[in-house]
Amino acid sequence: MASKAFSTLLMRHTLLRYLLTCVCFSIIILAHGQTNHTLSGYVKDKESGETLIGANIHLEEDLANGTVTNTYGFYSITLPRGVHRFVFSYLGYQSFTKEISLDTNTTLNVDLISGIEMREVVVSAKEDQQDENVQSTSMGRVNLPTEQIKVLPALLGEIDILKTIQLLPGVSSAGEGSAGFYVRGGGADQNLVLLDEAVVYNSGHFLGFFSVFNADAIKNTTLIKGGIPASYGGRLSSVLDIQMKEGNNQHFEAEGGIGLISSRLTFEGPIIKEKASFLISARRTYGFDLAQPLISKTDFAGTNYFFYDLNTKINYQFSQKDRIYLSGYFGRDVLTLAQRERDLQFKLPYGNATATLRWNHLFNDKLFFNLATIYNDYQFRAAFDQDEFHFDVFSGVRDVGVKFDFDYFPSTQHQIKTGFQGTYHRLTPNIVTGSAGETDFVSSAKPKFGNEFALYVQDDWKLNDWLRINLGLRGTLFQQTGPYTSKITGKVYSSGEVVKTYNSLEPRIFINTTVGSNSSLKGGVTSTTQYLHLVSNSSSTLPADVWVPSSEIVKPQRGWQYAAGYFQNFQNNAYEASVEAYYKSLHDQIDYRESFVDNSVDQVEDEFVFGEGKAYGLELFVRKNKGDLNGWIGYTLSRTERTFPDIENGRVFPATYDRTHDLTFVSNYNINPRLTAGLVFIYATGRTFTPLERLYIISGNLQTDYGPRNSQRLEPYHRMDISLTWTPRGSATKRFKSSWVFSVYNVYNRKNTFFTYTDYNTDLQMGEATIKAYKVSIFPILPSVTWNFKWQ
Amino acid sequence: MKIKINILIAFIALVIFSSCEKEYTPAKPEGGPKYVVEGYIEAGDNPFPPYIILTKTFDFYGTLNPEQFTGSFVHDADVRVSDGTDEVVFKEICFSDLTPELRKEVAAQFGFDADSLAIDYCVYLDVLSQLHPQQDKSYDLTIVTEGHTITATTYIPDQIPLDSLHFEAPPGKPNDTLAQLRCHLSDPAGVRNFYRYFGSTNGGPLKTAFSSVTEDLFFDGKSFEFQLYNPATTNRDVEPNEFGLYIVGDTATIKWCTMDEAHFDFWNTLEFSNSNQGPFSSYTRLKSNIHGGLGIWGGYNVSYYTRKVAY
Repeated sequence: MASKAFSTLLMRHTLLRYLLTCVCFSIIILAHGQTNHTLSGYVKDKESGETLIGANIHLEEDLANGTVTNTYGFYSITLPRGVHRFVFSYLGYQSFTKEISLDTNTTLNVDLISGIEMREVVVSAKEDQQDENVQSTSMGRVNLPTEQIKVLPALLGEIDILKTIQLLPGVSSAGEGSAGFYVRGGGADQNLVLLDEAVVYNSGHFLGFFSVFNADAIKNTTLIKGGIPASYGGRLSSVLDIQMKEGNNQHFEAEGGIGLISSRLTFEGPIIKEKASFLISARRTYGFDLAQPLISKTDFAGTNYFFYDLNTKINYQFSQKDRIYLSGYFGRDVLTLAQRERDLQFKLPYGNATATLRWNHLFNDKLFFNLATIYNDYQFRAAFDQDEFHFDVFSGVRDVGVKFDFDYFPSTQHQIKTGFQGTYHRLTPNIVTGSAGETDFVSSAKPKFGNEFALYVQDDWKLNDWLRINLGLRGTLFQQTGPYTSKITGKVYSSGEVVKTYNSLEPRIFINTTVGSNSSLKGGVTSTTQYLHLVSNSSSTLPADVWVPSSEIVKPQRGWQYAAGYFQNFQNNAYEASVEAYYKSLHDQIDYRESFVDNSVDQVEDEFVFGEGKAYGLELFVRKNKGDLNGWIGYTLSRTERTFPDIENGRVFPATYDRTHDLTFVSNYNINPRLTAGLVFIYATGRTFTPLERLYIISGNLQTDYGPRNSQRLEPYHRMDISLTWTPRGSATKRFKSSWVFSVYNVYNRKNTFFTYTDYNTDLQMGEATIKAYKVSIFPILPSVTWNFKWQ
Repeated sequence: MKIKINILIAFIALVIFSSCEKEYTPAKPEGGPKYVVEGYIEAGDNPFPPYIILTKTFDFYGTLNPEQFTGSFVHDADVRVSDGTDEVVFKEICFSDLTPELRKEVAAQFGFDADSLAIDYCVYLDVLSQLHPQQDKSYDLTIVTEGHTITATTYIPDQIPLDSLHFEAPPGKPNDTLAQLRCHLSDPAGVRNFYRYFGSTNGGPLKTAFSSVTEDLFFDGKSFEFQLYNPATTNRDVEPNEFGLYIVGDTATIKWCTMDEAHFDFWNTLEFSNSNQGPFSSYTRLKSNIHGGLGIWGGYNVSYYTRKVAY
């Protein structure tokens, strides 16, 4: 016991020492850069004052010599003394070029002008841009400005960020119409979904058919499916990093829309012009509210369903070097089922709440600091009442965390990032309480607790004109803590006492080799560890699914991803293309044991089995960024397998989300300043399922004997959606603009199978039985219209 | 006692979205037939004699006719049950072997009308009543047929009878023609107990509701009252406000059973599997205690209660 504790301590010390050495080493070797001068500042949208994430800053004469703004819109570039012409550019904005005599450290905040003023949506770049796709070391990373997402066709007119990212290669949908997604063969719980740095544990409304992200409140979405930088961790497969808008600091404006499913309204404006601003954005569904007059006349009076989201954010710049942000999100789904005649009521509320308080500080023009305190809470409740009987199930996740990050820009050769993150988790499994008359019941489940720490350092190092390396190392530590009673030893742990400790060193290495003026070869290795897990017994995750921490029973999931790719831009960066191959090995994967029965009372860990997984694939991506016609084509050829010793004796089977072929075509066409058309086409190999193999009689009814897991497939999935965004003449005045979005989902009315079921009708008396199998599709051709407006 | 929230949510989703369903013919299943055992052994009040039904699986879709059902029974198997001390050989009896009077009596026990029964039902029975099942004992089943050996073991736990039963008015809007059955149970503390119930009205065959089994994970050691559904009014054709209720004036019979964990697991997985079809659901493999086949060899300790539906 003592030796184990010692070795853990030793490992922790070694880890800390290693990371600190890396930080110090990086800083020391970069000291020579101080003889140069630095240009730094923020890049913002001129009209709203919103900072722009990922904007390019480069020398006009040397595209490869540049940088990009960070998550907070800050940039810093250090160059030899002299006169340089800098180009600032961002997708959808007019580029800005300025000649600067760099003979001292200089601060320059740049306001970029949105491409075309009068049009509702601008998605194309008008000026030359740096070929970030080729130059950067990042792999499998896609940035999607919200304005680009807004012009794509949407199911029932509901703009959905998560459904848009499903159109990227390597990302597959959890099912027809679902906002759930799987990345490169990873499970649904293996995606780190962040909203202003706070983890969102359940990103779906209404069983995942709609995402919780209201596009009106979102500024930017970045999906990292391959080379996850060391600054991110905690999930095996991907990072979806979503930033909320900060609020217009120039003038007040209101934006909203009325659609078939929901309506939206957003207010934003300055509190102190150019210093402080706010944003408040709300969305709510109303289908059932409109039906209440009819429902109230039936036995089901009181039955209702709706969901809503509320996003708020304020920021205050109290000096040139300091800025604070306070952002929050609160969303709920609320279902009420009532049957008056039998005094029956069922209530099902669930949803997320997040809050982030951030302080950005510039120590100097090369060192950017971000400190964030983060709170998030996901709650699920189901309550059943009838007469004297009451039944209640509650589960949830609550995190309180702190993180800080340093962005250090010593020279154009190096961009160093280092930081720390600590989170206290409280995970509540299904806790069931009930009462029947005067007798009370409560299940034995108790909340579980954990501390998760991470320390990281990464350096994006440009060795020369043709070689760039991103070296990163992330050290993580997870402690399961009390109060807890060991299921193995029976030992009782008090509050905060450590039950089990896991740690991990996660190297991240990405290399970019330039092989031509507009092409590069990239390769990378990513190691990731995941300490929180969600296992679903369904074909998609559902709100009642429970997150569980690593513990004395459940080991952390671990993964390695190896990726290599060729990246090429064409026609002055109008087109960017890539071919990426990846191989992933996944360890300590979790699934439910066969014959699992989901009854809410059992502790889910007792139903887990553990195994291995692997995924490999090839992704092709061609994207056109400029001109009136733009969009992308993505294709993925892949295989995803799992094997568990306790499932079919370790037989290797394809995962539910294994797709051999996945093709997407996404296009926008700016027909004229008032009309934009969008088109999406998807083709994917059918989902796997476990076939019925034999039938037999038990107690006079037919029962099913299933064949091997996921050994058959549904027919291929394909669908086309179109949209037309129309800004009527006269509807765009100086202060008020409006537009209509007409969308058609599933244009050619493809009957894609959502699920199958079998129906048995047995009459042993007559010695007859009929067995029928049915395919059910849920979304036929669905036209929709949404009216959007903006007042300023 | 159980709540299947995901299933409920999925059902609601299905209702809300106008779905389109189309019949289809699945790919032809692979694999040959398997043996299926359905056998029970009961102790307690008025126990049913032990019996075993031995059949083979069907391997096709579409329709099944009386000849196929009759052909699924496995004949001439060597079927033995041992209580650890004595071993009893069970003899195969088919309806066609019985006299018309006996056939009528046996058919009624299984819920059939002997006159119009279209299949020749066959069971293996302890015809000489040599076996005297008792609580707190295990019973081993061994079947040898066509060179194949099938084994299973079941345990008959102690009887835990209901403390009391009574009918009362259903909750909600007053209604004097419907009644809910209220039962009181005192669950022994500290041990896992597994329960199943059957119900019938007016002397009809005993049936089970959509969820007939439960364990005491949630109510270990509690003494409490609960509603027991009428199996006859839990099918999908029943009006929602009559769900699980009895009709005043009928006579209700309840068969209340305790069983071992393996027996519970079989019915628990079967009922979950049957109710878990639909959107988002995945398959559930039935947990069987039969080695060398499918099905169940289950022991019950039974208590019977008959009450007039009145309050």
